[in-house]
Amino acid sequence: MKHFIRVAILVIILTVLIGFGLDKVGYMPELASVQGEAIDELFTKHIWVISFLFSLIIGFMLYSFVVFRQKPGENKDGDHFEGHTGLEIVWTIVPLAIVMYFSFLGATALAETRRADPNAYNITVVGSQWSWRFDYDDYEFSSSELRLPVDRQALLMMTSTDVIHSFWVPEFRVKQDALPGEGMERELRVTPTELGNYKVRCAEMCGTEHAYMLADVIVMEVSDFEEWVEEQQGGPSGDAAERGEVWSQQFGCQACHSTDGSERIGPTWLDLYQSTETLIDGTTVVVDDDYLYESIVDPQATIVEGYENVLMPPTGESMTEEQILDVVEYIESLSEHE
Amino acid sequence: MDENKKVKFLSLGLVRGIVFQVIGSLAGMGFVMLIRLLMGLPAWNAEPVWVGGTFVGVFTFLIGVGAFSDWFKWAKGEETSDHIEADPSQPKWAKYYNISYDHKVIGIQYGVTSIILLGMAGTFAMIFRTELAAAKLQFLDLGLFNSLIGLHGIVMIAAILLGIGAMSNYLVPLMIGASDMAFPRLNAFAYWLNAPSALLVVISLFLGGFDTGWTAYPPLSARAPLGMQMFFLGVYVIGLSSILGSLNIIVTVIRMRAPGMNYFRMPIFVWASVATSIISLTATQLIALSFQMVMFQRLFGMGFFDPANGGNVVLFQHLFWFYSHPAVYVFILPGLGMISELLPVFSRKPLFGYKWIAVSSMAIALVGFFVWAHHMFTAGMEEYLRVPFMYSTMLVAVPTGVKFFSWVGTLWRGKITFPTPMLFTLGAVSVFLLGGLTGPPNATVATDLHLHDTYWIVGHFHATMFGGFMFPFFAAFYYWYPKITGRMYSEKLGKLHFWLMFPAFYVQSLWQMYIGLLGMRRRIGDYDPALNFDNSHLVITIAGFTIFVSVLIFIYNLIKSAKQGEVAESNPWNSRSPEWQLPTPIPEHNYTDHPFKVTGEPYDYGLEGSTYITMSDK
Amino acid sequence: MSTADIRSEYKYKLGTNRLGLWLFLVSDAFFFGGLLVSRFYLMGYTRPHLEQTLGLIVTAVLLVSSFFMNRAETAMAHGDQKTFLQGTLITLVLGVGFLIGVVGVEWQLAPFGPNDGAHGALFYMMTGMHAFHVLTGVIFLAIVYRNGRKGLYTAEKHWAVEACATYWHFIDVVWIFFYPALYLIGTVVG
Ligand code: HEA
Ligand code: HEA
Ligand code: HEC
Ligand code: CUA
Ligand SMILES: [Cu+2]
Repeated sequence: MKHFIRVAILVIILTVLIGFGLDKVGYMPELASVQGEAIDELFTKHIWVISFLFSLIIGFMLYSFVVFRQKPGENKDGDHFEGHTGLEIVWTIVPLAIVMYFSFLGATALAETRRADPNAYNITVVGSQWSWRFDYDDYEFSSSELRLPVDRQALLMMTSTDVIHSFWVPEFRVKQDALPGEGMERELRVTPTELGNYKVRCAEMCGTEHAYMLADVIVMEVSDFEEWVEEQQGGPSGDAAERGEVWSQQFGCQACHSTDGSERIGPTWLDLYQSTETLIDGTTVVVDDDYLYESIVDPQATIVEGYENVLMPPTGESMTEEQILDVVEYIESLSEHE
Repeated sequence: MDENKKVKFLSLGLVRGIVFQVIGSLAGMGFVMLIRLLMGLPAWNAEPVWVGGTFVGVFTFLIGVGAFSDWFKWAKGEETSDHIEADPSQPKWAKYYNISYDHKVIGIQYGVTSIILLGMAGTFAMIFRTELAAAKLQFLDLGLFNSLIGLHGIVMIAAILLGIGAMSNYLVPLMIGASDMAFPRLNAFAYWLNAPSALLVVISLFLGGFDTGWTAYPPLSARAPLGMQMFFLGVYVIGLSSILGSLNIIVTVIRMRAPGMNYFRMPIFVWASVATSIISLTATQLIALSFQMVMFQRLFGMGFFDPANGGNVVLFQHLFWFYSHPAVYVFILPGLGMISELLPVFSRKPLFGYKWIAVSSMAIALVGFFVWAHHMFTAGMEEYLRVPFMYSTMLVAVPTGVKFFSWVGTLWRGKITFPTPMLFTLGAVSVFLLGGLTGPPNATVATDLHLHDTYWIVGHFHATMFGGFMFPFFAAFYYWYPKITGRMYSEKLGKLHFWLMFPAFYVQSLWQMYIGLLGMRRRIGDYDPALNFDNSHLVITIAGFTIFVSVLIFIYNLIKSAKQGEVAESNPWNSRSPEWQLPTPIPEHNYTDHPFKVTGEPYDYGLEGSTYITMSDK
Repeated sequence: MSTADIRSEYKYKLGTNRLGLWLFLVSDAFFFGGLLVSRFYLMGYTRPHLEQTLGLIVTAVLLVSSFFMNRAETAMAHGDQKTFLQGTLITLVLGVGFLIGVVGVEWQLAPFGPNDGAHGALFYMMTGMHAFHVLTGVIFLAIVYRNGRKGLYTAEKHWAVEACATYWHFIDVVWIFFYPALYLIGTVVG
């Protein structure tokens, strides 16, 4: 009996040390959404159960190592003791109860993250290799950054133009994959609670530049948000080239094409216009308006030498005629020629 | 002296196999090109030509090494023998490079191949860990980084599968008192399938790599470079090997037990092996199917997972995880069996609750079939599946818990000693506990929404795999070393190995979990410096290198002690298991000259005058 | 007699072999099961447009072949060499007939290719993988037939014949699931 009392004390000490130790270190990033609250609460419970069960087993083991070790010079066998059915039943039933209870908690917390606000406004989140686009469906404009008003629920519909991506803002906790294909839109609800800047971090392996598939998230006061919406609704102003720059950001062209001559997945746009390109079939072309237009609408028609192994996605299909022409204009503006 | 015999290089099965594989692959490529020409297509198209060619190459390897010879004879109606006589012109060690039907030789072949793969995968890890030690890209590009993590993952998994093959091939027949496996030819065939396919998996690195991770989800894997196909093909063939290997184990256990060896008197490791084999035998077919479907999508444009062509990307994940979740229990069950096997020996006490432990292995294996979708909680699968799969997943904790509590019960009031195998066994218990306990937070859907695809998960599965496989595997190596080689390993180096690896592992895994929670995603070659992960990553890298060095010490110990170690007694651990009652080295036909009867319980340590087996010398 | 001697007897080995074969079939069944599941996952209650009469014919051919296979095996068990050879040969011919029907005719008649949507992909994959098994079965039959003619099997020792028969029936059973899944269930599209 005295053995058990000592171990019990050891286990309690260990549990408290581990549990509070972890709590002190702080293991979660800042929390910034309503949905995350239920998740953090459940996770804290998990951490306590882990601390306890780890201490329980390790406590018994450590104690045995010290007290039940073979003393020097001794060469004896331990007690002959084959098992105890009662004990076995207890340690089947008790964990069973615990895991059932935790599953129940998990289901409740899941329901909490999915609680729908009928006034939630709709944003379609489009992932493509390797950028995000946010279509504000209620206001009919798109953006390459996600701006959200604080304390209002947003219903994000995830979709993808190519491979699987995953929408994750660590501070919001919740995560959802964006799947390609018709009828494969998946929803995620987020109600931000803290003003500030965050980042969407693509959490599903989606190819070479997966590491860099980020987008800015800005949580703002409702009034600031409304102001921003109004600004955007007019569409980007300025001349064609300026608009083209905005489109090329929104549709993720710049994930692969640099505008400063640096090396990325696709050819740089700097000084592209009027330059001479060699294609994989050995022919050369002088880059003009038509060539640029065709390269965007039907990327596989002409493939530049050295890029045989990387496919440019058919993003052009989801752009309007004017948007494409704007982008062409923008590419031209990046060139000394003209 | 034996060693002085000249070896004719080409007469080694392995060398012949590789030569045949190269020739066969080239011939196969030519053949595919010919067919393409006949079909009116241009002869060269890298993908079908490589896939077709290398597929042929796998079979020519097997012909070269001689794995088909007996079956060809059967087809011709000729008689064959269950044993292969060693070529007397070759030194003794040459049998390990040739085809052999002896389960002990095959077990060692598996074991050594496993260590070689472990070293390869570990080296990949060291390369990408060095890259990750600081933010920004230092010396790898993203494409290569991605291929390296995927290869690290899959080669490690292959190393585990082979390591399990090693343990169960070597030990199961010995433990149940059989003279060999039920199907010795099939056993050799299953082993040799691994060599050409491991080669294919590694070749993928030179054919553009694959940037999908080991899970190879389409549609990304449908667009990845040619290396992807080599990965699929290699894993496909390794899968075939584990199906045939596990079939053999099950039949052996059912049909080849010694008299009196009823199911509840078998050494507990045998139970674990059977539970494992049930999973490998059946579920492996589904990863094969899923990979084959992607391969065919790439080769023939079949649109299984192509949303633009009637496919559905989620289907792949269901098929893939239907194998790959149960597979993680394949990785650990033999290891947990090993723990249950060694604890009684070194605590000099019966295994606490033998029947409960035996049945819990079965329970884990069976429940494991119904939990696969917990990898897909955020994947956008059918909504209504999330909650049921959460409940089923959590259930696995119950039989696993039974094992833990029973292990504690075994230690309690024992007379514990701490030689190297015991250290690794105890290390395994604590590390697997950490890994197991971090499972339930992933299993409750809500928390997984945060945890999925972060380094938390990376920490979780390294802990389960180290605790459930690596530590027990090393324990087994040290434990049976004197029986296999006749010499004792160096206890000093063994302890050094443990005391480097054990703390380093905790550091590695805990730090992975920690940065994972804070927002570190999986499979990224470069991380946002704003997150301040540099120091943590440096710590993980240093810990990883420490593990690497400790394993080098292990290998040095194995090689050196085989020649210079002290000569070992035939039963240095004073174990009751039948194989220890045999002379060292174990006779070629095991018990044929030492038949035994089971007369008692396997783990009755501390019971005066009890016996497990009574061996009669013929 | 010692255990080792009992174990090396033909009768004991036969039992071991049977168990091994059955386990192999269980394993293989999972592969076909996976295909069936994929078929319903992707196509639901629709099916490809196929030649119904041809489907009926090949199915009948395969079922009849199983009957002859069974006859051959029972004949061998009774030592009736002649009926055994006859049955094996007929099975083999019917098997080849099935292959011609599916691969040689149905594949050519089908108004879609393997790259035409889920229907195309699944139809060619399911029939293809099944045909591959039939092909291995046919090769097995040919070996058994040849060795049978050499007189290598007796009423007591004919494991190869039994294995071949079991495998053949298994392939037949798989088709019994595949046939309705492809030809009968659901409404026609594509
Ligand atoms: C050896 C391998 C192994 C083992 C044994 C396990 C064991 C478990 N795993 Fe793990 N897992 C992996 C290997 C393994 N896992 C891998 C490789 C991945 C990632 C794959 C990838 O994406 O690349 C993964 C991912 C993974 C996920 C997906 C995470 C994600 O990607 O979002 C989940 C989710 O449920 C999960 C859960 C579990 C659970 C519940 C167990 C349970 O079996 C654990 C049971 C054990 C215990 C709980 C401890 C002992 C029990 C007690 C002391 C009794 C009392 C306990 C309680 C009351 C809780 N694992
Ligand atoms: C058994 C399984 C196993 C083992 C042992 C390891 C061991 C290690 N793993 Fe691995 N790991 C996986 C299985 C494993 N891993 C899997 C499945 C993945 C997922 C991949 C994916 O996402 O697709 C992964 C992913 C993974 C990641 C995440 C990558 C990412 O998502 O970006 C990281 C990062 O730190 C990592 C690190 C390490 C390190 C530092 C070790 C170290 O412990 C390694 C130590 C070195 C050795 C154990 C080898 C020592 C051997 C020798 C010295 C012998 C040399 C001699 C000869 C050649 C004979 N691993
Ligand atoms: C996934 C990476 C990727 C994205 C995203 C991408 N491209 Fe490309 N792009 C490429 C690659 C690779 C090439 C070279 C191969 C080729 O010519 O098809 C290319 C070629 C081009 C060319 C021809 C360049 C030349 O040197 O001849 C133009 C113009 C172009 N892209 C425009 C765009 C526009 C506009 C967008 C956005 C709507 C876009 N790209 C998005 C990868 C990408
Ligand atoms: Cu998109 Cu990762
Ligand atoms: Cu799992």
